[in-house]
Amino acid sequence: MPQLPSFVRALVSVLAGASALAAAEPAVANFEREIRPLLVKYCYDCHGDTHDKGGVAFDKISGAAGLQDHKLWLRVLKNIRSGVMPPQGAAEPLPAAVAEQLMAWIKRDAFALDPARPDPGRVTVRRLNRTEYRNTVRDLTGVDFDAHKEFPADDTGHGFDHIGDVLSVSPLLLEKYLDAAQSIIAQTVPMQPRVVAETLVPGVKFATEKIDTALPELPKPAAIDPPLTPLATATAATAEKGFRRGGTRGPPAPPPMQRPAPNAVGDTLELSYYTPVTVAATHPITQAGRYQVVLELRAFERYVDNVFDQNKCRLHFSIDGEQVLEREFVREGGKKFEFPFERTLAAGEHTFTVEIIPDAPQPQVRALRLRLEGVTLRGPLDEKSWVRPKGYAKIFPRDPPAEAAVRRAYARELLGPFASRAFRRPIDAASLERLVDLAESVYAQPGNHFEAGVAQAMVAVLASPRFLFREEEALPLAPSEAHPRIDEFALASRLSYFLWSSMPDAELARLAGAGRLRAELPAQLRRMLADRRAAEFTRNFTGQWLQARDILTVPLTANDIFLRDHPNPAYEAARATFAQLAGKSRDQRTPEENERMNAARAAFGEFNRLPKPQLTESLRRAMQEETELTFAHIVREDRSVLELIRSDYTFLNEELARHYGIAGVTGRELRRVQLAPGSPRGGVLTQGSVLAVTSNPTRTSPVKRGVFILDHILGAPPPPPPPNIPSLEDAAPAGQLKQLGPREVLALHAKDPACASCHLRMDPLGLALENFNALGVWRERELGQPVEPAGQLFTGEKFRDVRELKDVLVTARRRDFYHCLAEKLLTYALGRGIEHHDVTTLDRLVADLEATGGKPSALINGIVNSAAFQQRRRVNPAALVDAPLSDRPALVQSNPRSP
Amino acid sequence: MSHAARSVSNPSALNRRQFLRGVGAGLALPAFASLLPARAFGAAAGAATPGVTATGAPLRTAFVFFPNGAIPAAWWPEAGATAAEFAFNPTLAGLAPVRRSVQVLGGLDHANANAGGDGGGDHARGNGVFLTGVRLNKSATHIRAGVSIDQVIAGRIGHLTRLPSLELTCDAVRKSADCDSGYSCAYQYNISWKNSNTPMPPENNPRLVFERLFGPGAHGGRAAAAQRRIAERRSVLDFVLDDTRRMAGRLDRPDRDKLDQYLTGVREVESRVQRAEQFGPNLDPDRATPAGIPGSQADYVDLMYDMLLLAFQTDSTRTATFLLGHDGDNRSFSEIGIAEGHHDLSHHQDNAERIAKLKQIDKWYVDRFAAFLARMDAIKDIDGRSLLHNSRIVFGSGNADSNRHTHTNLPVLLAGHGGGTLTPGRYVRHGAKPMSNLFLTLADQAGVPSLERFGDSTGRLADV
Repeated sequence: MPQLPSFVRALVSVLAGASALAAAEPAVANFEREIRPLLVKYCYDCHGDTHDKGGVAFDKISGAAGLQDHKLWLRVLKNIRSGVMPPQGAAEPLPAAVAEQLMAWIKRDAFALDPARPDPGRVTVRRLNRTEYRNTVRDLTGVDFDAHKEFPADDTGHGFDHIGDVLSVSPLLLEKYLDAAQSIIAQTVPMQPRVVAETLVPGVKFATEKIDTALPELPKPAAIDPPLTPLATATAATAEKGFRRGGTRGPPAPPPMQRPAPNAVGDTLELSYYTPVTVAATHPITQAGRYQVVLELRAFERYVDNVFDQNKCRLHFSIDGEQVLEREFVREGGKKFEFPFERTLAAGEHTFTVEIIPDAPQPQVRALRLRLEGVTLRGPLDEKSWVRPKGYAKIFPRDPPAEAAVRRAYARELLGPFASRAFRRPIDAASLERLVDLAESVYAQPGNHFEAGVAQAMVAVLASPRFLFREEEALPLAPSEAHPRIDEFALASRLSYFLWSSMPDAELARLAGAGRLRAELPAQLRRMLADRRAAEFTRNFTGQWLQARDILTVPLTANDIFLRDHPNPAYEAARATFAQLAGKSRDQRTPEENERMNAARAAFGEFNRLPKPQLTESLRRAMQEETELTFAHIVREDRSVLELIRSDYTFLNEELARHYGIAGVTGRELRRVQLAPGSPRGGVLTQGSVLAVTSNPTRTSPVKRGVFILDHILGAPPPPPPPNIPSLEDAAPAGQLKQLGPREVLALHAKDPACASCHLRMDPLGLALENFNALGVWRERELGQPVEPAGQLFTGEKFRDVRELKDVLVTARRRDFYHCLAEKLLTYALGRGIEHHDVTTLDRLVADLEATGGKPSALINGIVNSAAFQQRRRVNPAALVDAPLSDRPALVQSNPRSP
Repeated sequence: MSHAARSVSNPSALNRRQFLRGVGAGLALPAFASLLPARAFGAAAGAATPGVTATGAPLRTAFVFFPNGAIPAAWWPEAGATAAEFAFNPTLAGLAPVRRSVQVLGGLDHANANAGGDGGGDHARGNGVFLTGVRLNKSATHIRAGVSIDQVIAGRIGHLTRLPSLELTCDAVRKSADCDSGYSCAYQYNISWKNSNTPMPPENNPRLVFERLFGPGAHGGRAAAAQRRIAERRSVLDFVLDDTRRMAGRLDRPDRDKLDQYLTGVREVESRVQRAEQFGPNLDPDRATPAGIPGSQADYVDLMYDMLLLAFQTDSTRTATFLLGHDGDNRSFSEIGIAEGHHDLSHHQDNAERIAKLKQIDKWYVDRFAAFLARMDAIKDIDGRSLLHNSRIVFGSGNADSNRHTHTNLPVLLAGHGGGTLTPGRYVRHGAKPMSNLFLTLADQAGVPSLERFGDSTGRLADV
């Protein structure tokens, strides 16, 4: 139809692409003839003839509109594919051929998918989320801007925090963007050509001159006021532990009251409030003159629940033996201190001395410490001695010229490349002129330097929506295409934000600029995955898909978890005694009651001395790393993704190995560890991170764990719980709860048919993991009862324990896992939810995984080469945007069927 | 900004300074060359003046949300109580010192938080409906709520202060992955909504709140630093505005909506720049900038309440929301000896031990609120009344009985006298009225002109 006006061609192609209406009539007839009889036979028992279980009633489906209920048919497709429907034990099991027929019909007629002209879907223009902002700023300017601290949290959708539809821009965020741009540029671009020279003598350069670590005569922590609740006792124990961590790591731990020596932390030196010590550093000065000497410190405390450490220390600071500061420090909550002094210093060596004099009569409960960041020497202050600012030449390769036009040209030369990198595509000449105008308007003001003008224009670049949003441009539509491909700059960004969570690097930008990126895609993918920045992919994908991020913050109370596996009647009795008597003071209690309180205290003491697993910060980090390293290892070595479920190795350090009860691992670095045959570990399901984040604070939750496997491994999330039905996990008659094991508690679900249909899907999966407590520690018994992990999947496969469950998942349910992983990764790569038209892409990805035995490279290549990743849905005439097809009868009539 | 609005703002800005000079304590203020005499606020007085009390003092409004409802039996005064004669039950006992400034509101509902046809998701709804009163679109991505009442009020009186509104939270930790039952997390972590698809995300770091109010740096240098910030912002606004318009022109509809949010933000910053010029140098309280998020939850909540108090005291804003924790919050309260997660506990199944613990948590939240009210009550406002007197502070939750996820007879308190428009010190049973009715009344009193409806309102709430 070459002679048609272009808008008509557009309409034709839109309608041909969707083709839903043109095909509607035959499709309806086809449905009634071939499909409805199948639904009647296999589904109507629950979803027809007045039954509408789960809100699905096929007898209500009629006509073209019914066929186009994409949400419904997508559910049907998924449930048939994963064997969820018809359920086990249904009167008419679905023969495989019929299942295939139904699924093929859904794709062809209900979704009207044309595999030759796939719909790439629509990605809403995405702003950078906090992670992407931080990484992009770092790669663009070298500044590490902590966006997680400075910006409000990003909202999530479909389980990820970079979904364009969900990321909004509030006025507050905009304000933060402007201020962030200012502060980032201030840290990287010098505002003037010369400044006072500055040298830092870092804390770590301070050597200990005098120290007294002998134990003072101090009351022991046990002598703190008697705890009001058993928990306070527990926290005192935590405090000691916390203190230990501040000093050396791992056992053997020093006794809690030892005075720690100065401890290097990065470039700083940590000094305890409790250790009398003198440290000093000597620094040579080449140029005599007036100097500013700034002592920089930070005061820290380790917080312990409601127990305050009232200790203090005094600090003396001397310059060349002359004391210039004496100050008292109490607990300061992380505050930063700067003490400036002006001195005339001769050329030669100068000595700076810091002395700590403890004033600590109180029991030490929180490990107060001062972090000596260092002494900054600013000078000589005289303007004649000023120097080039640090990093000046990196931004400004030569001195600013004097003449106005040449200055503008120089500004243009500086701003063009910067803006092009920041916008991730070449800046247009008009925008560049506006930036130069802005720079000039600043540097032309009296008193302002040229540098300040350029810097301000750079701030504007970082505040522009072209930096903060990922605008994508499409190539002209080729005659054979239903939808245009995105241009190579957009492709470079899609790749870099997918695999690095950051902007394209110089090589990607260069290839995009030369129009060669598509041609060199396979090599670039390999390069990108091998790059260290790919760690961001691992961290952000596993962090959210497997929720490995959450392990750092999930609230868990180790003592209560321990008690479920090691019931302790004496401790429980002591708790009861406290609950009864702690409200009374000693004087109000009878002697017999005081006796009982003393006994209770003794029982607490005994309990506290029991060795128990604790979820320390370093252990949490090790768990997170175990999950990340597992994933990264499989991707890097292109091993089967099934090893995410079942493998004979995992990644451990000493602390995590000990936590798992695995011997022979020493040191802090995680490394690959070969597991003993028959080990229940190996695979993410039995990693501490997954086991802990799916638990409640005091115990496991088989329901949450079951839902996790259904949602994140099998891709068949159960429908959300019905409203106004309380969690049944504890639906035991009051008082009996403690006697019931989790399996008996969950058996209550089966009693109510409304609960049973979903809980029979999730509970057995969760119960299979009951051999791991909420901290991920192996156990044989809970509440004195043996753990019974055996069960059956909703699709009928039986397993005796978690090992066999993993076997089932990587064999009988392998395709479900492939589908699930493909869906999660495609969501992550695109930044949008999965829609019905993505079914073709997903089927292809699963086929690729099957063909390669689950190679990650097949999956990643498949995604990157899919229409969804490579193309953009056609921008339709405004009238068409968002209106459902059924609302457009007029367009059908105007559809010129022949040219 | 209309001319009329501007003429109101000037006297009240002066009032603010005058008042602050009077209060003095804790605040070091710049010297003011001249202040209008007492008639200044008398002149601005009158029922029709938005954002001020009858005496002309600023009228502040805050909405404080606590998670997971409250055990009803321990919250509500005993049966047989009358409006004036009632005894606080244990959960509210901590309010005794400020009893004359607090109303217990019974019988307020959020029908749109019920399941309706939407199925599970009572926590997301409890949260998202709380200040909007509308039905939320159940979707992980297609967000549609409604404007919240605080933003309605801020839309009318926001121009009178440096910040139109302030959004705070003590939710420092977010879970990854999906939120409640298919609802986007946006519903769960935001109670304030600028419009149906733009949540106003709350700030969770007291340091950042403080710096936003008074400027960065140490005392003495903050005002100058804040001025500098504003000048810097202004210098790039034109470029950014221009860039945003051009980019919006290249995009199609849904994308343009996102750019519209951006544009709204730019305009708001622009008008704040103008207001900053109009109000003169920032205030600079003589206290240290908070270091960050305190380790103890009690310290954290108290400090955030302090930020709210400072914002009101310095008349930096007159409208605020404070999300203490999102509905469904599973924090454990080890500080008061409760190891279990709050949400986990809240499905108590009538287990006495769990109920006892929940009561402790409910009381903990109320006690922190009571302490805040006492501090508000101890501060004198410009007209000689207390800061609390000239405020309306709603304290409530989006779930009533969390064990069963009910949204009727929500636990709601209304503190303050609203400058004399409210009659606190009572227990008023309103008998199954939409919570939105209360919001309409509060909007009326703040001078929002003739708002016909809000959310699912059926009328004004009488007798508050």
